[in-house]
Amino acid sequence: MHGNAMKRVNMSKESQMRAAINQKLIEMGERERLKELLRAKLIECGWKDQLKAHCKDVIREKGFEHVTVEDLVAEITPKGRALVPDSVKKELLQRIRAFLAQHSAL
Amino acid sequence: MTMEEMTQSDLDNTKLESVAHDILMDLVEDACLGLCFEVHRAVKQGYFLLDETDVESMKDFEIVDRPGVDIFGQVYNQWKNKECVCPNCERGIAASRFAPHLEKCLGMGRNSSRIASRRIASSNNVNRSESDQEDNDDLNDNDWSYGSEKKTKKRKSDKNSNSPRRSKSLKHKNGELGSHFSADQYRYHCNSGINYETLGPDELRSLLMTQCGVVSEHTKRMCTRSLKCPQHTDEQRRAVRLSLLGPAAPALPDGDAVVESDSYEATNGQQVPIGRLHWGGSSDVSPSDSTSSKASEFFGTNNSVSTKPKKKKPSLSLSSAGQGRALGGGFGALHGDLGPSNHRKKNKHPVTPTAGIYEDMN
Repeated sequence: MHGNAMKRVNMSKESQMRAAINQKLIEMGERERLKELLRAKLIECGWKDQLKAHCKDVIREKGFEHVTVEDLVAEITPKGRALVPDSVKKELLQRIRAFLAQHSAL
Repeated sequence: MTMEEMTQSDLDNTKLESVAHDILMDLVEDACLGLCFEVHRAVKQGYFLLDETDVESMKDFEIVDRPGVDIFGQVYNQWKNKECVCPNCERGIAASRFAPHLEKCLGMGRNSSRIASRRIASSNNVNRSESDQEDNDDLNDNDWSYGSEKKTKKRKSDKNSNSPRRSKSLKHKNGELGSHFSADQYRYHCNSGINYETLGPDELRSLLMTQCGVVSEHTKRMCTRSLKCPQHTDEQRRAVRLSLLGPAAPALPDGDAVVESDSYEATNGQQVPIGRLHWGGSSDVSPSDSTSSKASEFFGTNNSVSTKPKKKKPSLSLSSAGQGRALGGGFGALHGDLGPSNHRKKNKHPVTPTAGIYEDMN
């Protein structure tokens, strides 16, 4: 088999694997726990307050009465992703990797 | 580097890493979305800008960050080093110790009266034995150091002999604990000790006429309860009288112990169980755990009476433990009925009213 076909096969296998992992994550309640952990850490490190301040600016910009969820999401999410501190990222990645090591079929 | 050149494990690792990374980004996005919804709702409901007011108020309540001062601007141990002059004794007292000192200095307040009465009580005792004048002077000076020592000494001796706590651990030993029932009522009595060794024979005899007198193994003291005290059997009482007064001991007014125990076991009479049950009527205020031990004791001796002890006994004794005193009378009536009827069928009848009573109680 040649490169591209190989890639395609690998891709579908990979997506299958991802789906299986996600399902397991949800079923075992681990995703909820990770979510709570992330939220707690983000509040602790001040990420939430930073982002809220940014929200205020966006709202003032767009006009108080006419703000929509989509506006906010479009403005906030990229900044939010960037603002997550590395320590928080590292810790969560650790936990996710541990879960994968335990429960992935590889 | 093509994909074929990487080893399988490297591939797996990078895959895992990317999977993990994606999962993380999903979670972060969830968090961002959550925040957006929160903010949007706050804006639409009108509580988003609640913590902003005019500039002046903002300045008033700003967080203070100076050294030696908390975030509200208050000083922490402002009054710690100040000394006050006591108006009574003209001494300089530290501010935090001022109030207690004043209490004792003026002789007012709860503690000072307690200390005073204790001092009086102990000085009465001390005067009988030899005492120095100097000791009393020391008492006056260091009122709360010396006084607290005395307090702890007294407390320890109070706890020692007859407290209910102590007797809890010894609960299951066979009935030698007359003391824990009477601990509150007879405290002074027992503390001074009815030590049978120091009493003369006449006193002993008169005591034994009215009191149970069985010697407790643990405290070496005689039981001061009545002659019908259920903690001890008549056999025990006889034994004590025999050993203390010799074979010429006066007979127990209750009659022969032997006869009674026989009739108790054989006839399953209604009289005996009900008579035994009148511990509810006697003067002691029994704590619940002693009640339960009594109940189990009671049912234990009644084992020979009913033929169907297994089914009934656990449930009855359990509930008696829970609702001990109140059910004492009701129990007795029921059990008196059950006694003579040794048939299985008959026993079923009384069981249902029992359950009914418990439902009412519950």
